[in-house]
Amino acid sequence: MTTPTRKILHADCDCFYAAVEMRDRPELADVPLAVGGSAEKRGVIATCNYPARAYGVRSAMPTAKALRLCPDLMVLPPDFERYRVVSRQIQAIFHDLTALVEPLSLDEAYLDVSTVTRFRGSATWMAQWLKQETYQHTGITLSVGAAPSKFLAKVASDWNKPDGLCVIEPERVDAFLQELSVKRLHGVGPATAAKLEEMAIHTCGELREWPLDILIDRFGKFGYRLYELSRGIDEREVAVTRERKSVSVETTFDRDLPDFEACSQALDPLNHKLRQRLERQGNPPLDKVFIKVRFDDFSITTQETAGQEPSSTHYRSLLEQIWYRNPRPVRLLGVGVRLTPPEGQRQLSLSLGTV
Amino acid sequence: MKFSISREALLRPLTLVAGVVERRQTLPVLSNVLLQVQDDQLALTGTDLEVELIGRVAPDQVDEPGSATVPARKLMDICKSLPEQSEINFAIEEGRAVLRSGRSRFTLSTLPVAEFPNIEDGPGNIELSLPRGTLKHLIDATSFAMAQQDVRYYLNGMLLELNSNLVRTVATDGHRLAVCSRPADIDVDPPQKLIVPRKGILELTRLLGDSDEPVNLTVGASHVRAHTGEFTFTSKLVDGKFPDYERVVPRGGDKVLIAERAELRQVLSRTSILSNEKYRGVRLQLEEGNLRVTANNPEQEEAEENVAIEYSGDGMEIGFNVSYLIDVLTVLNEDRVQLTLSDPNSSALMEEPGGGDAMYVVMPMRL
Repeated sequence: MTTPTRKILHADCDCFYAAVEMRDRPELADVPLAVGGSAEKRGVIATCNYPARAYGVRSAMPTAKALRLCPDLMVLPPDFERYRVVSRQIQAIFHDLTALVEPLSLDEAYLDVSTVTRFRGSATWMAQWLKQETYQHTGITLSVGAAPSKFLAKVASDWNKPDGLCVIEPERVDAFLQELSVKRLHGVGPATAAKLEEMAIHTCGELREWPLDILIDRFGKFGYRLYELSRGIDEREVAVTRERKSVSVETTFDRDLPDFEACSQALDPLNHKLRQRLERQGNPPLDKVFIKVRFDDFSITTQETAGQEPSSTHYRSLLEQIWYRNPRPVRLLGVGVRLTPPEGQRQLSLSLGTV
Repeated sequence: MKFSISREALLRPLTLVAGVVERRQTLPVLSNVLLQVQDDQLALTGTDLEVELIGRVAPDQVDEPGSATVPARKLMDICKSLPEQSEINFAIEEGRAVLRSGRSRFTLSTLPVAEFPNIEDGPGNIELSLPRGTLKHLIDATSFAMAQQDVRYYLNGMLLELNSNLVRTVATDGHRLAVCSRPADIDVDPPQKLIVPRKGILELTRLLGDSDEPVNLTVGASHVRAHTGEFTFTSKLVDGKFPDYERVVPRGGDKVLIAERAELRQVLSRTSILSNEKYRGVRLQLEEGNLRVTANNPEQEEAEENVAIEYSGDGMEIGFNVSYLIDVLTVLNEDRVQLTLSDPNSSALMEEPGGGDAMYVVMPMRL
């Protein structure tokens, strides 16, 4: 079966939070600027502008480290309310073009424009229009990638950021992939990249020379994905409503929690917040409850249990199991629930009575 | 400590004991097996603090009694990979365990014997004896229905009910329930209800053969201990109250059908190939003399099977997790199976035609 070639756009605001701040305070435009948590509270950088990037500052970097790299860095606390307002304006522009919009976050979305007839159906013109409209109405610059699949569209939007526009036409996909660094593939982090390096694979072209069975042998299930991606195969559709799979609340503490008792006490307010969040979503049916712990050495562990109730008692018992395995100071605690997908809600339960 | 033993004699108890040892351990010594040699007998102990298993075997030669703890899985892997009928010499030399066999030599680390925990058990207040085959049958007939990692922690195990002249096992994960009873020559008064944790049940059943030889049970306030001659198995008990199975077994079903068990099982297994991989829903359409089983998956692939049944009543459609039905058909022994239904939202009762020693209750899925 041959499916008609799709046209997917990936639109990504350039350093969104920082861009909103610079728009509202133009005097900040040329100084190194970041939005994130304060170093005293051990926050991390959410976004930074390009002058800050010149110093090596990156998002997800601890603010303390960012300040070491760039002592003059101006770190603003995030103002999500303001960002959300801008985000809504931008999403409205996306929806002007097509109803098939899959938002990934406040500042990023996929658009399926395969059936759009405006702009004579030209993805390039559509991308230009999106950038123009967004800049005119919000003052934010957008990088847009256009390609026949989601993954290539995302690679393209990142290609000549900021204020970029990159189109990978269907007939150019093959040549583009031939030279594309495997590090650009979604899911290829430092570990996989190193493994590929050992196999002398740097580009998708080189990756394509390896047979599927060897890739699966070396990379497990991801080997199959590598095989597909290196050939430009990515059938994922632009999902207009994304199914929510879990709800959780977490917090990083100003100071590490030293012992079980301190962690245990921190659970109640988290659970309270979680319940509020679940209530806002109409208390959906739950499949499992889980707890997430990040220790002072940044290692992360989670523990989950099949059950229905996010109660402090259950979270305490999960925490106990983690603590038993690895008692050490805790930097971050999170509590959450996995939701029962619609299909799973069909199984009826025995009435075991209250025991 | 120094002794020699044949590979085969060591492997049997070692494999079972190493089965108790968890791969991920909280205490390093729990990855080890405790070896104790005394009076021409070698005892091997493995524990995860909840379940403890001691196996005993007679070495071919004991040169020096003593005790040591060595990594269980490594010891087992070494013994397994030695040639059949190998003679193994085991000795502690300068705090390390040295295993020699033919032209092979392995030196393993040890940890102090004093660090090896044993499950502290209070005095047993009840002692009784059952044929091993009876206990094994009771467990095998019901263990598949035990919950796993449920917050209702008492479901992550099996209820063992000891009455006068009757033993019963019950397991449920909240979607299905299995109960099996057998007469036994015991006298327990008042009746005892123990919840044995899931892992304890799975390990215990590996020890029990189908023989009529006895297994001796000692029940304490927080432990149960089983002796089978060469093995001593101890498990902590789950402190909790198990649901009352009698409230769950449906009584009002008016649609009774009888099918060939093996045939129905095959039909369901084939149909299941095209059911949703995770939720495994199938649709049963009941009509006179025929049961139609259909399934489809998110890819819109479809399976349909028809199987002859004994049934003469109203038609009905009902959905089930096909695995739940297959599990029951796998443990039942009779050639035929009886299903009692009432409506698409009520539980089904599965058992031998006319009722056997086991009953299975399965909740449906909404269609």
